[in-house]
Amino acid sequence: MATEKPVTEQYQADAFSRRKDDLLVIHDLHTHFFTPDGVVRALDGVDLRLKKGTTLGLVGESGCGKTVLALSILRLIQDPPGRIVKGSIIFEGTDLLGLDEQEIRKIRGNKISMIFQEPMTSLNPVFTIGAQIAEVILLHQRHRASTKGQAMDMAVEMLKMVGISSPARRINDYPHQLSGGMCQRVMIAMALACRPSLMIADEPTTALDVTTQAQILCLMKDLKDEIDTSILLVTHDLGVVAQSCQEVAVMYTGNVVEYALVEDIFALPLHPYTKGLMRAIPRIGARQEGKTLHAIAGNVPTVRDMPKGCTFHNRCPEVMDICRTEYPPVFRPKADHVVRCWRYVN
Amino acid sequence: MENLLQVRGLRKSFAIRSGIFRKTTGHVQAVDGVDLDVHPNETLGLVGESGCGKTTLAKIILALERPDSGSVVFDGTDIHSARGQALEHVRRGIQVIFQDPFGSLNPRKKVASIIAEPMIIHKVGSKAQRYDRSAELLKLVGLSTDMLGRYPHEFSGGQRQRICIARAMAVNPRLLVCDEPVSALDVSIQAQVINLLVELQAELKLSYIFISHDLSVVGYISHRIAVMYRGQIVELADAQELFDNPLHPYTRCLMDAVPEPVPGKIAAAAHVRGDEDSVLFPARGCAFGSSCPYREEPCTREKPVLAEALHGHYVACHQHIPPDEQA
Repeated sequence: MATEKPVTEQYQADAFSRRKDDLLVIHDLHTHFFTPDGVVRALDGVDLRLKKGTTLGLVGESGCGKTVLALSILRLIQDPPGRIVKGSIIFEGTDLLGLDEQEIRKIRGNKISMIFQEPMTSLNPVFTIGAQIAEVILLHQRHRASTKGQAMDMAVEMLKMVGISSPARRINDYPHQLSGGMCQRVMIAMALACRPSLMIADEPTTALDVTTQAQILCLMKDLKDEIDTSILLVTHDLGVVAQSCQEVAVMYTGNVVEYALVEDIFALPLHPYTKGLMRAIPRIGARQEGKTLHAIAGNVPTVRDMPKGCTFHNRCPEVMDICRTEYPPVFRPKADHVVRCWRYVN
Repeated sequence: MENLLQVRGLRKSFAIRSGIFRKTTGHVQAVDGVDLDVHPNETLGLVGESGCGKTTLAKIILALERPDSGSVVFDGTDIHSARGQALEHVRRGIQVIFQDPFGSLNPRKKVASIIAEPMIIHKVGSKAQRYDRSAELLKLVGLSTDMLGRYPHEFSGGQRQRICIARAMAVNPRLLVCDEPVSALDVSIQAQVINLLVELQAELKLSYIFISHDLSVVGYISHRIAVMYRGQIVELADAQELFDNPLHPYTRCLMDAVPEPVPGKIAAAAHVRGDEDSVLFPARGCAFGSSCPYREEPCTREKPVLAEALHGHYVACHQHIPPDEQA
């Protein structure tokens, strides 16, 4: 596709040129899993940029590679079967993929921390929550707390910060004594204990009730400003994205198919998949008006039936001939709005 | 209108046991005096947070759990005193779809025998007839008949949920209890399953009890919605009316918390609900009491009962006393 190349190259050169406010720049990242059934290309050339002080939402359906991307950044992909085969992850100027195990450990949990989906199972049931928060501090921040007592005092501070009442008493509680929302607050306290520059939150509120979800999202937003961290928020809920993110990346079958500011993507989604997702959200009272819910036809393709060309073409209502044969490169119809779809070739 | 299902004064509590002798140390009131009606060809939505008793209520309606007191009358038969043929009639009339389509299909059975199982239990048709009916049902839920010979692991989540629906439809039920049927599915697939349920209802004149914690899903599919909080129905109204004019403070709190897909619009769930007071130690008076921003003196004394505040709009709150009781 000789005619399209300049556009792509221009974008990629542009995307890859380092800007001053970049915290994390991911370029052409490929993470593959080598299974007996064949190679699963969980990430297939992901480009992503996260600016300092912003929250980037990573949206997509199950199996699209959201979690693999989050784990790849922390180099937590289990090898075998998984391996990052190609690409670069530049975090604060250094390529995380070039670091050895010792060096990445200094970043993991310290500069970049992570919150997982299930707060109940992410905490160790046989240690008190205070001990678990103190462990992080003792491991990474010896200069701030050299003794266990000091670390415990800091743990109390952290619990207070995430809004847990009577924290001095609560640090002696075990995870099973806390509700789901409280556990997630403890996870956030642990993740923020070292004042990281990046916090990766993988579906942090999916297991929680809506009222608790609203509180946790609100808390994350406040703390982000308070300790000046950036957030990569992995979610499948577009409502959560609209509320808490400044930028959005939509993933489909291991690639980012659309990337834009949150206002732009909700006002005018470009990729047919993003459009479909937006219209699939049920609206209250719509049934009484006789409207059927817009569904995206078909299923998310599995490794075995991955279509040729654009991986979305067999579900796409706007499919063209070229989509069936060629995988679309990234196009940039507007400033700060990139999309992987042949419809935007010009 | 004649009711298909009539639930009156339903209560169910579970004992909490602790210590090495498993002594009963308290009770959880999972369902605490619930009255409900389901009309023919209607979807009744049931919303509430985890642990509010939605699933226990569903189990009692399905006669999988016995209530401590109260009655469930389906099509003129009290299901908990029914025996023999009458009970079988009830069980045929009420079927269920569960939340997890991965856990609710036997991995060792082929789709054909999964769908045929309810028919075998209720002794419907011959083997050949059952097979034909299975094929028919599979087509009804939008799958192709050559899938009859496959095993559940070969299907995606959305397809499995379709198989669950086909199985539930096998004995021509009149009421389908859907316990979080789309929570485990992705947004795009969720929409497909909801559309299928809507189509089936129009075609077969079914009634649904649709349980979910997702207000937008319930708001879309339901004709009427009941909001549950700590074992009680705190508000019951037509779907549109409930969203336009929520009366109970808890309903408002729930609606404010739903993140809307509108950038910049922040959920107004600012007030932090107490984590301390749990279901185990119910306070006197209104269950929502300590979290309620409008709490007044009578709320701490007396438990409010569900009463009609506006036409067809029921609420259990001291703030909304029905006109005829205002002396």
